[in-house]
Amino acid sequence: MMRVRAAARRDAAPVRKYAMRAAIAAAAVLVAAQLLPAAISNPPVTGDIGAPGGVGVALRAACYDCHSNLTRWPWYAQVAPLSWWIARDVEHGRRELNFSTWNTYYPVTRLRKLEWIGRSLAQPGMPPIWYRAMHPGARLTTAERAALSAWVAAQIAAAQSAR
Amino acid sequence: MVLRIILNLIKEGPGLMRHPLRTKPLLAIAAIALILAATGAPARAGDTVVEIKLAEGHFEPQTLTVPAGQPLVIKVTNATAKTAEFESFRLNREKVVEPGQVIVVHVGPLSAGSYDFYDDFNQAVPQGSIVAR
Repeated sequence: MMRVRAAARRDAAPVRKYAMRAAIAAAAVLVAAQLLPAAISNPPVTGDIGAPGGVGVALRAACYDCHSNLTRWPWYAQVAPLSWWIARDVEHGRRELNFSTWNTYYPVTRLRKLEWIGRSLAQPGMPPIWYRAMHPGARLTTAERAALSAWVAAQIAAAQSAR
Repeated sequence: MVLRIILNLIKEGPGLMRHPLRTKPLLAIAAIALILAATGAPARAGDTVVEIKLAEGHFEPQTLTVPAGQPLVIKVTNATAKTAEFESFRLNREKVVEPGQVIVVHVGPLSAGSYDFYDDFNQAVPQGSIVAR
């Protein structure tokens, strides 16, 4: 019996050794990754869209982290490699639509952005599922979605009549 | 935290997390979509293929006429030094085009009418239009 246990320990030793080496290598890569910081910043707000009341609150809760310069960076946005992913997503989100630089958009661009916002609100994919999973408060209720949609439709109508 | 995220995903889940067996067909579809996105689905016989070039400050040609009722394949070349996004609200398409890159956009049969397209990243570029007749 003793001999069997000793043999089992001998067999497990190389596996433990490799597992330990893999863990050390992974830790070293993780530490080294911290030397490559992501571009995490909140540039100045040049001109906010200025949505009123509850619409503004819903927009800030559900959209502003990726689509404005008022991103609330979570603590894990400082830790690579998550930081790279989050920074890239925010950069992409701001490039697509930035509520903080709304004043820099041409009237026709504003109209296009509003149309896309309206379409996004009619589908369940925005905010993205992974974001909602990390930020339960960003989930839009049916009432919030309806209020946002109505406000966006009014803005589109106003923009179209101004053309 | 991981547990909280998983719980939130389950709450969110349109059945995705609740039934792991359902993820297999979804993964297969995702894989096929990924391959098609990477390679660009080939144009089929009967598809109308048009080419649009984004040159410095404008699209070439700015207006295209295509037959209505036929699937359309749009090849977009970004000949500028800036990243562009070929976008059309009416066509319901948006796709980033890096400098020097060619992208392929597939559109279903169009009803007769005019479909604007534009570079969403460079708003000074005048919009173009595809006219389906």
